[in-house]
Amino acid sequence: MRFALVLVAALLVVPVAQASERHPTLSELEGEVMCPVCGTTLDQSNAPAALQIKRVIADRIAAGDTKSEIRNRLVAEYGEAILAAPRRKGFGLLAWWVPVIGIVGAAVIVGAGAWRWSRRRDGEPDGPSLDPALERRLDDELARWD
Amino acid sequence: MARSARLTAQALAVALVVGLLALLVWRVARDSDKGVSQALADGERPTAPVFDLARLDGKGRIDLATLRGKKPIVLDFWASWCIPCIQESKRLEAAWKEYGDRVEFIGVDTKDFSGDARRWQRKHGITYPSVHDGSGNVLTKWGGLPIPKIFFVDRSGKVIGELEVEEDLPRYLQQIAAS
Repeated sequence: MRFALVLVAALLVVPVAQASERHPTLSELEGEVMCPVCGTTLDQSNAPAALQIKRVIADRIAAGDTKSEIRNRLVAEYGEAILAAPRRKGFGLLAWWVPVIGIVGAAVIVGAGAWRWSRRRDGEPDGPSLDPALERRLDDELARWD
Repeated sequence: MARSARLTAQALAVALVVGLLALLVWRVARDSDKGVSQALADGERPTAPVFDLARLDGKGRIDLATLRGKKPIVLDFWASWCIPCIQESKRLEAAWKEYGDRVEFIGVDTKDFSGDARRWQRKHGITYPSVHDGSGNVLTKWGGLPIPKIFFVDRSGKVIGELEVEEDLPRYLQQIAAS
């Protein structure tokens, strides 16, 4: 059942991603490209430099370029910093995987620590047994409060 | 065995922390490098940061280091989206015609599309050579935005000034031409 759900989700997502790659829209690229002079994405800027890039993107979309082609063109002109998020290849992969590895590693360390701690507590004796005389006296004292 | 594994893990953890600290120090040190503009404002005459960038016209590259000791330089940071750059570049074009035999004029088209930059040069009749600094890394070393930014470098490679007012242009040009 779970596998079927994952399969259906994948079948729904893949065509959308492919359509986005083949026929990108200006609005989606505006959110993925930085304005080189204002430190925000293009969709948050009306600086002349941002308007210039928006115009070029619109021209390239009209010319039929794919999303990758447009992004590659921008990177060739401005460098990798023009992209709001690093690319999922080469050195850029590090930015995607290091946080995941860090979170998984931290979870493993915390889990292992918790597991060891709980095992140690399970195996521990309940403490030293009381002297029989003292135990009898304690029972007597407690019985007075019943 | 368990002890050596624990030691290895501890060594790795310490190495990771030291590495991250080193990265942080390097980054802070790099960011705290004041640009040429700030150095000039502080009364210094910094050595011109060099670059080696492709020319906009496609005719090879310009390596600033190769000019040191040979010719004084006027360096003009501009972009096709920069409105005030039009007037400044036109003034430099006129100055280039007068001083071009003694002084090297180099435009640095920064954070710009090279195609738009070439069109802009043709439209405004700018003919002194320019290089393309699309990422703006060179501009950052010289002081960053805003542009236009125009610097004057003497023959020895020292930056002697930045254009602030109109009168600076002939004054600095005469100064570096005589250097």
